[in-house]
Amino acid sequence: MLLENKYYKVLRARKDSEEKAVYHIAILPDCSVYEGHFPGNPVCPGVCNIQTIKECTSLLVGKELRILSIKQCLLTAIATPMVCPEVDVEVEVSESGGKYSIIAIISDEKRQYMTFKGEGV
Amino acid sequence: MTDIKNLIPQRSPIMMVDELLEAHDDIARTSLNIRDDNFFLESDGAIAEPGVIEHIAQSASAFAGYNAMQAGATEPPVGYIGEVKRFRLNRRPVKGETLVTTITMGPTVNGVTIITGETVSGEETIATTQMKIYVAGE
Repeated sequence: MLLENKYYKVLRARKDSEEKAVYHIAILPDCSVYEGHFPGNPVCPGVCNIQTIKECTSLLVGKELRILSIKQCLLTAIATPMVCPEVDVEVEVSESGGKYSIIAIISDEKRQYMTFKGEGV
Repeated sequence: MTDIKNLIPQRSPIMMVDELLEAHDDIARTSLNIRDDNFFLESDGAIAEPGVIEHIAQSASAFAGYNAMQAGATEPPVGYIGEVKRFRLNRRPVKGETLVTTITMGPTVNGVTIITGETVSGEETIATTQMKIYVAGE
């Protein structure tokens, strides 16, 4: 997967069911993305967090998913490797006719960084 | 129209716009060629879906940067995505393709601007979305 062990690393996973899990991840401060986002001011690109949600969902369902649509994704706080070196990625899916509805939240004990509702296949 | 580095604050490896093709009133058009070194390029030769979202966001950023320059700014403004809404992707773009994106900018209220973006490759629609963008310091 594109960003696993490059942008983030899964430290532990708690699978509550076939459809729900929480991935506790480290946001890797040495990822090359921070050279450009932004020079001297490392900020987690929101789209990298969307990709991280996609990859964690792929881990849950056991196959590499593609995003078809995003109903709504809110970026509720600015995330950086210093502000939130470790976060929880909470993922819930429901499958129907080969399509997955995905609901996900990225948060730590202090705040939420992202909420995501979308569809994957 | 002008060096893209004057219009957006992002730098390599995550520059996702090559050129601002035109900008007038509330509409702008940008382009991006998908090259070998694209940060979002996956092993099958296509870019990951969030790469398209980043391209649209940076297209809006280039438009905002152009407007800021016209108003006398010397540094491109740093904007953050606040919301992605009604994003639809028809397919992932592949290496070698050139994307052209049209941004329509809505009003800015309290530093938040609502934009819509449509990305095409030739005649084919690749993606459409709405977004809210926050500009730092406003």
